[in-house]
Amino acid sequence: MSSYLKLSGISKSYGQFTALQTVDLDIKKGEFVTFLGPSGSGKTTTLMIIAGFEQATSGSVEVNGKSLFGLAPHERNIGIVFQNYGLFPHKTAAQNVYFPLQMRGINKAAGMRKAEEMLDLVGLQGFGHRYPKELSGGQQQRVALARALVFEPSLLLLDEPLGALDKNLREQMQIEIKRIQRALGVTTIFVTHDQSEAMSMSDRIVVFEKGRIQQVATPLDIYHRPETKFVAGFIGESNLVDAKVSDAAKGEARSAALGKVEYAVTDKVANDNDVTLMIRPEHIRLSRNPIEGRKNVRMKVETIVNYGDNALVIGMVEGQPMRVRVLGADVVIIREGEEFCISWTRDSVYMIAK
Amino acid sequence: MTVSIARLSAKTELWPWLLLAPLAVYMAVFFLVPLADVAIMSVTEPRPTLANYERVLTTALYQRVFINTFVTAIVVTLCCLLVGYPLAYLMANSNPRTAMLILLLVTMSFWTSFLVRTYAWMVLLGNNGPLVWLLSTLGMDKPPQLLFTRFSSTLAMVHILAPYMIMNIYSVMRKIDPTLIRSAESLGARGMSLFRHVYLPLTAPGIANGSVLVFVICLGFYVTPVLLGSPREQMIAGLIGNQIDEFLAFGMGSAMAMVLLFVTLVILTIYHRRFGLDKLWG
Amino acid sequence: MRWLGIAVVVFIAAPLVIVVPMSFSNARSLQFPPPGYSFGYYQAYFTDMSWLVPTWNSILIATATTVLTMLLVVPATFALVRHKFRGKGIADLMMLMPLAVPHIVMAVGYYSYFGNVGIVHTHLGVILAHTCLSVPIAFLVLSANLKGFDRTLERAALSLGASPTKTFIHVTLPILRPGLIISALFAFVQSFDETVVAIFISGRGAETLPRKMFDSIRQEADPVIAVISTLLFLAVIVGVTAPLLVARIRSRRTPATA
Repeated sequence: MSSYLKLSGISKSYGQFTALQTVDLDIKKGEFVTFLGPSGSGKTTTLMIIAGFEQATSGSVEVNGKSLFGLAPHERNIGIVFQNYGLFPHKTAAQNVYFPLQMRGINKAAGMRKAEEMLDLVGLQGFGHRYPKELSGGQQQRVALARALVFEPSLLLLDEPLGALDKNLREQMQIEIKRIQRALGVTTIFVTHDQSEAMSMSDRIVVFEKGRIQQVATPLDIYHRPETKFVAGFIGESNLVDAKVSDAAKGEARSAALGKVEYAVTDKVANDNDVTLMIRPEHIRLSRNPIEGRKNVRMKVETIVNYGDNALVIGMVEGQPMRVRVLGADVVIIREGEEFCISWTRDSVYMIAK
Repeated sequence: MTVSIARLSAKTELWPWLLLAPLAVYMAVFFLVPLADVAIMSVTEPRPTLANYERVLTTALYQRVFINTFVTAIVVTLCCLLVGYPLAYLMANSNPRTAMLILLLVTMSFWTSFLVRTYAWMVLLGNNGPLVWLLSTLGMDKPPQLLFTRFSSTLAMVHILAPYMIMNIYSVMRKIDPTLIRSAESLGARGMSLFRHVYLPLTAPGIANGSVLVFVICLGFYVTPVLLGSPREQMIAGLIGNQIDEFLAFGMGSAMAMVLLFVTLVILTIYHRRFGLDKLWG
Repeated sequence: MRWLGIAVVVFIAAPLVIVVPMSFSNARSLQFPPPGYSFGYYQAYFTDMSWLVPTWNSILIATATTVLTMLLVVPATFALVRHKFRGKGIADLMMLMPLAVPHIVMAVGYYSYFGNVGIVHTHLGVILAHTCLSVPIAFLVLSANLKGFDRTLERAALSLGASPTKTFIHVTLPILRPGLIISALFAFVQSFDETVVAIFISGRGAETLPRKMFDSIRQEADPVIAVISTLLFLAVIVGVTAPLLVARIRSRRTPATA
């Protein structure tokens, strides 16, 4: 597994403010990697450093073993789709797609033919003569994608490209982008703050927070085996309970609210260490009476948030808020203010050492 | 790496200056130097003393011109406001088609040369003009002298400067959120009280902008007062012109010009402190 | 409010409209209503060198002023809008200063200064003076346009392989073109209509149309002025409505659907 894009020790500071702190990352050829994080976490800054629009204070970027240091953006051969697409308003869709070829000295006839082919690939046959303002948001998005891919870039960078689209169109475009990326096999970095987008599209997710990488892993690992409390809280709904390890070998910890909790042993940790226990709401069961073979505690229901097919029941256990996912069909029997039993198994308790 | 970054920032500091240099040099040579020339002449022509300023500020004739200029500028500004506010209101509160037509008219008036509009008033108010003709057909046997009076020059100046006022007020009115007015109404504001407590404060920036602009232009107005005004009721710009044109009294003319410049700059500086000059003409 | 508004509309429109019938009058002096109609004064205007020469001078001077203004203002605007540097505040103020100085003050300055340098009563002198007065207006228009320019477009061009120079030529300039044209138009009109400075420094040698009109109105009120006024007003009508018509035709041709 050789690395295709290699970031080593990238830092970026603006005066006193540190935007990025020693970011290291290896990405394989053809991989689809998502940078996920809240705004201001450093994901876009990292993207802009790769593209050459920002200079790192220190560190290096290599593509295919060659350093990009000292190369201006236009010398890097990297395709970018910007947040607001950045389509040239004075050029038609086809002329927009032809532009990078024109800049590379390809003659108009051949270039326009290639541009039309690329528009076909993104599903815009016959739209080549339209100007950007005559296209819908989704169509503009496709033109931007075609333009960023037509010159066979070494990398494709997507900077929150779906942010401006409505929900249905966004899901449609997620599938489209994935399809086109697979078809061309281009190494892709996708920046977003939308976790479901990251989950559904990526081979691997890089979680950023406060200028640092928190975790790099597949979507499933990020969800089920978060390495830090931040990742656990940022991705999906979760119950995070502070606890102290009482028996590291057996996997037991004590929490002020829940008492003794058993967890799945996955990580080495010493007795008396402070840890965070994560229990996903969908792994907790709500019942009138305790269930044999599970850890049971009593919870007073405070709020019910209904999503239709499911609901989130929020309650208190000894001052610790707990969230439980309940099927939509079951929610009708639950009243706010009532007391219930909530229970879970050892396997669904994940211990986070950091 | 550090070296290259230092070089880079030095380069980025130099680049804007290179772009700016031709204009900066030009403005220094063809704007600041002639302006400085006026300042210098005001204290050196014919002899290096402050005598010019003394005469400008103490001679009764000149004092009367200054007062007349000020009064005229105030009257013109108020008239522009009186004319401009209702029209801007009409534009902001009528259907888009009507608003567009009025805007078109105001824009045309704005773009039509001062001279053309001054000439038009000469035609309108002339002794054989339509207004006199109208008055005499209505039965007035001896129509009043309209042309070459304070009335004619003030009227023409109001007409010429009103577009500045209208545009400024309209641009503010157009941006007023209609829900603001509706919510004020729902809170019990009606008629005059709605206007006084809600609408007027909201449009105040436009009024301030327009008034400052009209007042300042009017202070230094040359063409219209000279062509349409009464020779006995000059304004300061006309007086300066006389000094230069007829008497070749560069010292006196310059001293008056400096006084006019000083007053204008004081007004604009106060405005600049509060709002920023670039807003005024934007 | 409504009736007051209508009265104001009449007040604004009447002087603009009145010059048109006057230009077709056959009376020897100002008289309304005109005793009869003819093209006499149009013929007079188009054959009288004492009117045609100033017209030509004005066109020449305004064109040169526009070119010079844009050459100076375009790079300076880029510097002021896109860069942060020490002294920017002063530079910004310097650009706007000519708007704050009454033209009569500048006229006195130019009259004396250009007299000393020996370019008073020349085309060059008027062009140099008018450029100063056009600079702030062109700057205001252009900087507003440049501030609204989406710089993502330039980044996009760079990422697509266009060098900074090519980005400027293929992306920045074409997108900025409407702003440049309007800015130049403002500079042109400012010079073409400028009266006060021209009265004092254009002299016989470079007499501009406004100066000639001013003198003529002051002395005899030659009815030919009505002809010129009508023509200038016509130019304004065309200038103001043409962009609207073009926009309407464009929007009709390309429905904003899809």
